[in-house]
Amino acid sequence: MTLKRVTGLLCAAAMSLALTAGAQAQDKVVKIGVIMPMSGGTASIGAHAKAALDVATDIINNAHPELGNFPLAKNAGLAGLGGAKVEVIIADNQGNPATGQNQALRLITEEKVAAVFGSYQSGVTLTSSAIAEKYGVPFLNSESVAANLTERGFKWFFRTTPIATDFAKIYVDFLADLKSQGAKTDSVAVVHDNTEYGTSVANTISGAFKEKGLPIALDVAYPVNATDLQGQVLQLKDKKPDVVIMISYTSDAILFAKTMQSLDYKPAVLLADDAGYSDPSFTKAVGKISQGVFNRSSWVVGPAGSPSAIIADMYKKKSGEEMDDTVARQMQGFFVLADAIDRAGSTEPAKIQAALKATDLKPEQLMIGYKGVKFDDKGQNTLASGAIIQLQDGENYVSVWPKANAAKAPMLPYKGW
Amino acid sequence: MSFVLVQVIVGGLLLGAVYALFSSGLTLVWGMMNIVNFAHGDFVMLGMYVAYVVYTLMGGGPLLGAPLATLVLATLGIVVYFGLIRGIMKGPMLAQILGTFGLALLLRYSVFWWFGANFLSMPPNIVGGTYAFAGLRIEASRLLAGVVALLVTLGLHLLLTRTSLGSKMLAVAEDQTAAQLMGIRPDTMQAIAWAIAAGATGLAGALIANFFYIVPTVGETLGIVAFVTVSLGGFGSVPGALVAGLLIGVIESLSGYLIGAIYKDIVVYVLFLFFLWFRPQGLMGKM
Amino acid sequence: MRRWIWPSVVAAFAIAYPLLLSSPFQQRLGALVLLYAIAASAWNIVGGYAGQVSVGHVVFFGCGAYAAMGAYAKFGLSPLFGIPGGIVLAVGLAAIVGVPTLRLSGHYFSMATIAVAETMRLIVTNTEWLGAAVGLSGPTVPRNIFDLSFLSALPYYYLFLIILAITLAITWWMTNSRMGFYLRAIKDSERAARSLGAPASRTKLYAYMLSAALTSVAGALYAMMFGFVDPESGLGILISVKILIMAALGGAGLLFGPLVGAAILVPLEEISNSWLGGKGAGLTFVVYGAIIVLIARFQPGGLLSLLTRRGKPKTDTGASHAP
Repeated sequence: MTLKRVTGLLCAAAMSLALTAGAQAQDKVVKIGVIMPMSGGTASIGAHAKAALDVATDIINNAHPELGNFPLAKNAGLAGLGGAKVEVIIADNQGNPATGQNQALRLITEEKVAAVFGSYQSGVTLTSSAIAEKYGVPFLNSESVAANLTERGFKWFFRTTPIATDFAKIYVDFLADLKSQGAKTDSVAVVHDNTEYGTSVANTISGAFKEKGLPIALDVAYPVNATDLQGQVLQLKDKKPDVVIMISYTSDAILFAKTMQSLDYKPAVLLADDAGYSDPSFTKAVGKISQGVFNRSSWVVGPAGSPSAIIADMYKKKSGEEMDDTVARQMQGFFVLADAIDRAGSTEPAKIQAALKATDLKPEQLMIGYKGVKFDDKGQNTLASGAIIQLQDGENYVSVWPKANAAKAPMLPYKGW
Repeated sequence: MSFVLVQVIVGGLLLGAVYALFSSGLTLVWGMMNIVNFAHGDFVMLGMYVAYVVYTLMGGGPLLGAPLATLVLATLGIVVYFGLIRGIMKGPMLAQILGTFGLALLLRYSVFWWFGANFLSMPPNIVGGTYAFAGLRIEASRLLAGVVALLVTLGLHLLLTRTSLGSKMLAVAEDQTAAQLMGIRPDTMQAIAWAIAAGATGLAGALIANFFYIVPTVGETLGIVAFVTVSLGGFGSVPGALVAGLLIGVIESLSGYLIGAIYKDIVVYVLFLFFLWFRPQGLMGKM
Repeated sequence: MRRWIWPSVVAAFAIAYPLLLSSPFQQRLGALVLLYAIAASAWNIVGGYAGQVSVGHVVFFGCGAYAAMGAYAKFGLSPLFGIPGGIVLAVGLAAIVGVPTLRLSGHYFSMATIAVAETMRLIVTNTEWLGAAVGLSGPTVPRNIFDLSFLSALPYYYLFLIILAITLAITWWMTNSRMGFYLRAIKDSERAARSLGAPASRTKLYAYMLSAALTSVAGALYAMMFGFVDPESGLGILISVKILIMAALGGAGLLFGPLVGAAILVPLEEISNSWLGGKGAGLTFVVYGAIIVLIARFQPGGLLSLLTRRGKPKTDTGASHAP
């Protein structure tokens, strides 16, 4: 008797599977699959990305003359496809490489998306892009920084974001500039978590400084989502480095700020590597006690009326949050993908791939501060770059370096609270 | 150097007291009912959110937030006891893991649904800054949590050993049928135990919220610490949880400072395993 | 031979499934169900039949996954060659861990297994040679068939089906052997079993090692299918819990319990994620959590016990698992 019921259960499971099939393709709609962490510890990233993509599809699908010559804004829909609308289908990767891969497969085979966009965590990007590669569907990544992603010989993988080697160079140049202005920047400490992001970025930065004859004086690694960071702050307080580079996610960034205040520790220069320090939750929670922290960002808002200012405004209306670097890089990446589909004039994967390869966007066509978008043979954007911003007067970052597009001069030393 | 060490040890003791504070509720139900509550970390999380809501809606600090969190969580404890625990208590241990793990997901993602995934935080210095004396720095909010941890431990211990309610509860834990014959209602006693345990956990959450970040998944981070603390201290032993919490806090702090933070959890787990070898019933547990 | 009718029907259905539901996603779901069924069935040997609730089984899963990916990433071999290595690692580790921990009672054993798994995860996270936090990748562009990197889920499906059949056969054979008899006695009352002369410690250890070996095979297959392992996806405690939940939900200590649990939970998780996950409101897990709570509350012995013996709580052994 047992197995009769077992069969019944299996059949029920199978039937529920059958229900997932049968997604209908509609005319005049270009589907783009998006894989993001919508649940788990990094779910706020997914929530922000969702709001940003809503804004991006609004800009693409409706006429927005106020954005001037910003690509895809002027008319409704994708002109290259006869005004076809873009539809975003978001899938939750749960921060898990296996789930990300399953969802990539579903988006490609069930939803029949023209391209895949994602997936935040480098591990998830790795597994989900492998499926896209096997199916021959373009995959655009706008925020994962692991170096190995573009070293796999993939033909369908494109990445718009700057990676660790790019920021390492920015930090070296920025600190050299500060030094020439009289600041003491000789001993540098790197503080990072032990995730793939933390260790790989820390290694690259250490390498870049060593190359310039500036070995890292202190390397402080800590476990991600730490319950306590006093030991690390005390280590810094003990060794007194001039510059502290922080590579942390939001949870630890908040705890670091609180711990530094309670132990009364202020380095002369506190330089953060994006991630947690760019999260609006960070500035809301501890911005008041982190005054003067420098941060790396490719996102710099232009003057009122400029496309970046208008987009930032639209995003704020949608999500209630200030636009930050991570979400801006994602939005920019999505525009690059949509632009390629527009130029391809087709949803055929090979044509989109060819259009992506031919991408050559100029700085004025971007909402973000890259020097442009142009992919090399490996699919990496060679013109990705970033600037340094600083938290001054309250909870907003202002650009301070490079001087050419700086809104204010860097404020030294780190003020804290 | 030695001065820094003193600061490290003091910091570790305060951290340990916090561990003890949010573990006392877990050890109580674990010892009394032999129930593994996988949702314990999420009870702490709920306490934090209650404190946060009290602060944002009414502008109340911990003086208002902590009692309210205790009350709300105690009520939830009773609801959970009658709704779920009573049904799975007599089942196999697996059913308990299944039920409380499901409850953990349910609580965590209900909060997620309501509040979103953003990191929240109480304003800095909500409990009056940092005390500095002789170069030593102690955060008032952590000190408060530490003091309350001692009081809660003492209170629970006295309740269990010195009051008739406590002896009734212990009687039920010892032998339900016998207790029933003596006119004690096991249901009532166990519901009270859940209320007390959940209430203490809510109180812990409200106090931790003063110096930690608040996010729906924070229970995952804290839950596993509570599990180790309780096992090291001995299931059901409230003083054991305090000693184990302090021990873990100091070990973590010292190993984090001396040999590197990424190894501090390894040190704790290895010591824990090593310890089980010699004393399989925990620090202060009964066999 | 009436008892073989239903297993045959199930087997026939399992063999025909990818032909009946042939979309790539459905085939992959089928393969995932089988994969988790292998892992949960392996866990069932020690967690269900022996009653030793291991919450750290992911450590053996990780042995297999890392051995398979290591064989490729470190030695350029086919991941298949990692399987024996993974088994040796897992069995060795089980012996080292099992001797001191299996004498612990109830919750202490569970906690000790968690501690072992977490220690291992932290060590691997900080070990450069094993890819640290970045993890190890498998072949993305297969060199030959032995790289086991397929576009279609079909080869995985049938491979997993064969391994599942072997796992279930071993379990079945074990329960009907002297070892199974001892395990049932130990689960009922270890003291009584000992006093009757059952070699309790040795039997539990053997069951633990057997379970570890099979779990490591599941881990290796998992890594091959996804072409990747990192500390979180290969050694994260959540995988242990997932395996345990599948076995418990279907019916621990029953031969087909883990399969039923996997056949319900894997599609439930993937489909609810596909439907609700993109909304970003965490609804996937609200639904998932609620269903688990309801099953635990109203059917604490697992779903299969509802079907076998209505009403009687399933706390005893798997003595009558066979149909």
